[in-house]
Amino acid sequence: MFSKLVSRNSRRSRKENGLFFGSLLISIIAFYIILSLPNQDVMFFLTTMESQAVDKLLSLIPALFGAALFILFFLIYYASKFQLERRRHEFGVYLMMGMRRGRLFAMLLAEDLAGSAGALLIGLPAAFLLSELISLVTARLVGLGIIGHTMSFSPQAAGLTAAGFLLIKFAAFLILSSAISRQEIGALLVERPDGTKKQLPAPVYALAMLAGIFCLAAAYRMAISGRAWENIGVMGLTLLLGMLGTFSLFYGLRFPVSLVAAHGRSDRRLHAFNVRQIQETVVRRSGTLAVCSLLMLSALCCFGAGVAIARFYGSSQPHVLDYTFPGDERASGIAGIRETLHEHGLDASFSDLFEMKIGHIQTDRDYETVFQMEPVMTALQALPSSENRDVLLNNLSYATCPYLISLESYNALLRAAGEPLLSLQEDEAAVYMDSEWTNDSKSGMLNEILQTRPRTVLDGHDCYLTGTVQTINPVTDRSITLSFALIVPDDVFERRTGDRGSVYLDGVLSGTEDTSLMSAIAEMNKKLNATGLTYESYLQNIGRHLFYMVAASYITIYLAIIFLIIANTIIGVQFLMSQQKSNSRYRTLIRLGADSRTLRGSAKRQINWYFGIPSALAAFSSLFGVRALFSGLLPSSAAENRSEMMMISAAMIFVMCVIEYLYILAVKRSSDRYLLSLMVPRREE
Amino acid sequence: MNHTDTALTEPILAIDALKKYYGKSASQTKALDGITFQVMPGEFLGIMGSSGSGKSTLLNCIASVIAPSSGSIAIGGQKLQTLKGAALAAYRGKKIGYLFQNFELLDNLTARENILLPLSLHGVREREGDKRLSQLAAYLEIHEVLDKFPAQMSGGQKQRVAAARALILSPDVILADEPTGALDSRNAKLLMEKLAGLNRDAGATILMVTHDTNAASYCRRILFIQDGVIFHELRRDYPDESGQQFYGRILKVMAQLGGGSANVL
Repeated sequence: MFSKLVSRNSRRSRKENGLFFGSLLISIIAFYIILSLPNQDVMFFLTTMESQAVDKLLSLIPALFGAALFILFFLIYYASKFQLERRRHEFGVYLMMGMRRGRLFAMLLAEDLAGSAGALLIGLPAAFLLSELISLVTARLVGLGIIGHTMSFSPQAAGLTAAGFLLIKFAAFLILSSAISRQEIGALLVERPDGTKKQLPAPVYALAMLAGIFCLAAAYRMAISGRAWENIGVMGLTLLLGMLGTFSLFYGLRFPVSLVAAHGRSDRRLHAFNVRQIQETVVRRSGTLAVCSLLMLSALCCFGAGVAIARFYGSSQPHVLDYTFPGDERASGIAGIRETLHEHGLDASFSDLFEMKIGHIQTDRDYETVFQMEPVMTALQALPSSENRDVLLNNLSYATCPYLISLESYNALLRAAGEPLLSLQEDEAAVYMDSEWTNDSKSGMLNEILQTRPRTVLDGHDCYLTGTVQTINPVTDRSITLSFALIVPDDVFERRTGDRGSVYLDGVLSGTEDTSLMSAIAEMNKKLNATGLTYESYLQNIGRHLFYMVAASYITIYLAIIFLIIANTIIGVQFLMSQQKSNSRYRTLIRLGADSRTLRGSAKRQINWYFGIPSALAAFSSLFGVRALFSGLLPSSAAENRSEMMMISAAMIFVMCVIEYLYILAVKRSSDRYLLSLMVPRREE
Repeated sequence: MNHTDTALTEPILAIDALKKYYGKSASQTKALDGITFQVMPGEFLGIMGSSGSGKSTLLNCIASVIAPSSGSIAIGGQKLQTLKGAALAAYRGKKIGYLFQNFELLDNLTARENILLPLSLHGVREREGDKRLSQLAAYLEIHEVLDKFPAQMSGGQKQRVAAARALILSPDVILADEPTGALDSRNAKLLMEKLAGLNRDAGATILMVTHDTNAASYCRRILFIQDGVIFHELRRDYPDESGQQFYGRILKVMAQLGGGSANVL
């Protein structure tokens, strides 16, 4: 009998409470996705070339798992609370019939285990499929190709998922069931709303609201002025002010709501009832709503950071070179490398192999005065003041002893890139700047000045700058970035560098159009490793790049989704819980002649407000939070795209609105079903 | 409530052969087994009976909370069975006013908001109810609690606020389900005097289900129900018969009502 009761009850709770079961599934999927991260195709691939960084990331997984356990505990806690609250009356009846509390506890525990087992049975396969899907999609997005994909179910991840899930489920169960078992039978049998809390005088709430607005305004100011990034103390203060402000504002919301309740008269159906219901929920749950609002804000900020990182770090420079072999590391030099490649039959795999000469000026002069370009600086200063101009002025003031690049080798690079070649006179030089140090606007300013063929002095000789600013990286190695270099004719190069420059052999793979570049390079790496040659590949460098991008955006977007789901589930569950507690009110309304449409309309309006208040504040705060994050996380080159950043913000708020809408729909459906259940059985009594 | 002369001859509420059976053949319970009676406009009718006699089922059928198995209920000539959806909801609020044993005030609304709730439910502008609200508040002596929440009121005040809510839309019939059940004797007396006054002075039609002989003695006519059928009927010879004398007669009938006496003594 006992076991029959247990199995019937757990089946019923699965059927009746989709929201609860849904949150269990979400938790399981969230756990498995973190834990199966090492099995993702991208991670496998990155491990082959960036094993240290990958290891570092993977060592973060336990911490991330712990954080997820902590956060998801609240999700499970609130969902289980709702689940148990709606059965209070039933528990009261069991106890009235003489069931011992220990027995009730055992029954609930057995139900809980049955429910958890069911959730794991459905959740784990779903989580596995989803993580495979994520693996395939990311592999496709980064150009890995999906042919080599192997299904990789991780028993360890599944085991840890189950263990973590059961752990938080059990913890939530213990807390909740001990709270229930402490209550008197009478209190369990009577369902009633918590009632109004003791009210403080209205000015207290008004003050709290003002203080909240003040704190938030201060936090916003610190965030967008960039002061928040000065040091950890200021950052802490900003966050503290923001949180304090949110809590205080929500606490003070009682003031405007009670004003509306007392004075706002409207002939809308059930207006007074709706306002009072909202007032009650806001009053009783201002803390929870504030937490949810902060969670939503965190979600938006994480989304923002993730999207921004992917957007700005993902936009890499034009890709021309696939390989660079440093010539200085072998006694035989470039010729030796070519020979080795030929011996292994690898030279045929390259459509292009050319030397790249880069060198430092050999001179007795003071390094501060080797290169002087007053005319350029003067012309720059004459331009209208702007942030870009000032940055450029500052950077160029350090370019007093630039690297030199040989014209012939740079032209070979331009040829490979399909760009127009440079031609220089004996006393001319072209400007090279790494794309990390310049942007369209800076290059534009400089190009304008270069058109005037300004006269500069290089190691005591006149040198006229000409052409346009070049930005194609001369080697694949991203650790070599030249903020400012001069491209000079070869004999000038030989003379100035004293033939002591560095030589690299640059290679472009042939036939990469047919297969994915990633797999072509991975294949070539294997062959090159056999030759013993030292090399840097595009992928290795882009891999590092890609790795940070993938890792950062993966984690932030993951957290964002979790935050958003938790905030919304808590709000939804809280609403449904308070709706159920006020069921006698709804019954009275029905007796007074409320039809189901009126009741559902009233509940919908309450739901809109209940979700709307925290999400509106979160959306508003995110405008500042995301901007602060952008200014703190992104390179200054991205900072000029204010409008683009605001577009990203707007897009994220839109995405949040869509998710909110879906949640609101789900809660409305659940509420409708509940209200209908209040109407139907009474008529068939 | 202002009935016309012609209305005097036509019942405001007509119950005809009303039956309500629960369950199937073998285990069938006949809560109502063919009850027929009429309520005239301006009448104050009491329904008494022991627990399980079917009086609550009868009231719930009239209130349209329960659908009867057969028979008909007509209010103002309109049959209840023909009403559906919005019309049924409108019937609940406008044709009948319901007074509950445990008040059923919404605890998060003030007295004023509770009283005006039916207006809001039935799409009547609140301003239209203001005048009636102040009349009712004055008559029921609840002026000083209008801006208080139920938790801040006494039981008697709560029930009088509930009465004001039942009356705000001037319904054709007021259904009262043990209205004094949760009140002490002083407040019960006050409430019954107010209800009797409304019936006498404003011509309100009241149908009251009660166990309380004291409360029943305010009625003009009482139907006694046992096992789902009408078992006896008492009429007060108003105004010649005093409340005290009528009370004595009710007690006698209650004593005859086998199980019912347990509820009285």
